[in-house]
Amino acid sequence: MNTAIKAHHICKTYGADHRALDDVCVDVISGEVLVVMGPSGSGKSTLIRTFNGLEEIDSGELDVLGIKLDNEADPRHVQRIRRRVGMVFQQFNLFPHLSILENITLAPMRVQKQARVQAEAKAHSLLKQMGISEQAEKYPAQLSGGQQQRVAIARALALNPEIMLFDEPTSALDPERVKEVLDAMRTLANQGMTMVVVTHELGFAREVADRVLFMDSGRVIESADAKTFFNQAQEERTRKFLNQIN
Amino acid sequence: MRACKALIRHCRFYPIDSVLSLGVIALINWVLWASVSWIVQAADWSVVSTHLPLFATGSYPPDQRWRPLLWISLLAALTLITLIVPIKRGSNRWMGMVLPWCWVSMIPLGLVLMAGGLGLSNVPSRAWGGISLTLLLTVCSAVLALPFGILLALGRTSDLPVLRHSSRLYIDVMRAVPLIAVLFFGKLLIPLFLPMQLEINQVLRAVVAFALFAAAYVAEDVRGGLQAIPQTQREAAAVLGLSPLQSLQLVVLPQALRIAIPALTNQAIGLLQNTSLMALLGLVELLGIGRNLLANPAFIGRHLEVYVWLGALYWLFCTAMALLARKIEHSGPTLNGRSA
Repeated sequence: MNTAIKAHHICKTYGADHRALDDVCVDVISGEVLVVMGPSGSGKSTLIRTFNGLEEIDSGELDVLGIKLDNEADPRHVQRIRRRVGMVFQQFNLFPHLSILENITLAPMRVQKQARVQAEAKAHSLLKQMGISEQAEKYPAQLSGGQQQRVAIARALALNPEIMLFDEPTSALDPERVKEVLDAMRTLANQGMTMVVVTHELGFAREVADRVLFMDSGRVIESADAKTFFNQAQEERTRKFLNQIN
Repeated sequence: MRACKALIRHCRFYPIDSVLSLGVIALINWVLWASVSWIVQAADWSVVSTHLPLFATGSYPPDQRWRPLLWISLLAALTLITLIVPIKRGSNRWMGMVLPWCWVSMIPLGLVLMAGGLGLSNVPSRAWGGISLTLLLTVCSAVLALPFGILLALGRTSDLPVLRHSSRLYIDVMRAVPLIAVLFFGKLLIPLFLPMQLEINQVLRAVVAFALFAAAYVAEDVRGGLQAIPQTQREAAAVLGLSPLQSLQLVVLPQALRIAIPALTNQAIGLLQNTSLMALLGLVELLGIGRNLLANPAFIGRHLEVYVWLGALYWLFCTAMALLARKIEHSGPTLNGRSA
């Protein structure tokens, strides 16, 4: 078993004394789905944003796919890591001036220097996999939230990433749109993709997660396999959280 | 019938309104009637009609006049084509690709046609004038001001203090100085710094001064566009492995410039109108032609005709520019639910 992400004692402070990450240790094994849960402001978004260098850590050791991402990391290394780690945001963040197809082919063509034909073929097959192949020529503003988020997933997958990070991918969606995005993510998990997912979707976590990490005020409170986590949580804080959102 | 009844009822309930409306309608009618009857009957348009080539080309050698005239006609034709042909992306991609290059090629084409070279005889910039000079000044300085303005805007929003402060200083100084002063500086000071033999083209000097001035305003318009792009767009680009430069070029600037189009159109129209200041510096552009004509004793008392004619021409050019800008704006997709 390969370890895709190794985080040892990482800390991150905002401003003078707000500890966003406080001595966090977590290993993500290749092919597993790790779900990160916790109340808002608990540092879960900050944690996964460190995994592709969107946030710099202050101290500790962070190793993603064999490359060190600490505060002395070379920006070019960070850029290289980002081609191997896909990310999907809460607010989709599609490029509104580009068509769906151009959104997806942008990075393969500009970063990996693929030929247009090749990149477009890949984009079409990804859109088909996401169930939105008829939207290729449209623009983001013409799509529903759920469709936009699936485009965002396709855009991240176009670079053939080894790890996918999801930062609350369904939190900005209408309830009836949540399912279509979760279904796409479930398919991805079944294909063996290494995934780190920040989410409040208990059903998804229960069904898809291999392991669940529970965080509060920058600390890891509990880390367990999904079954144990939902049935016999060890910590009082975890049980309280689960009761509240159930 | 129904409208009539509604009108009568309205008049009964709002008598003051009605009196005012009638008064305004009468006033408009009177002004229209007076203007039309002046244009048709009282005005003597011979001063304009006998000098049409002069208005178009200034004192360009008469046997070479076809050159500036050709350029003006090409510009007019291109404007019409751009306005008429639909350039919705996707449906008419070919036109959307070719037209911008046609526009860009109009600049070297205009310069060669006006100045000579490539087998055409040389015509010194002293002889350039009229509409062709006005348009050349506008187009060239706008094309120089845009990239310089974008660089200034990027400098202004840069993280490097040196870059940020020097850009801001430049923008603040340029905006605090009146254009006419910049133009006089360009005319009087630049030659002092250069060796005696090197006489740069008078038009080029004007273009550079205009561009340096306009760039400060362009920079602020572009900065407005840059600020409208959320940080998350840069993040999304970074996450895909795009370098900061690629992110700027492919994601941020295309959106920022689209947002800045209405403000940039203002600048372009202002630039066209400001070229009339060159008449004070001795370049005989459109307004200069008018002034020269009126200095001739034969046309004493024809001021109104000449200025109405000039006004109509400027109106035509500015309207064309506004329409072009609207066309460009509408040719792209909607950004984030804003109507573009």
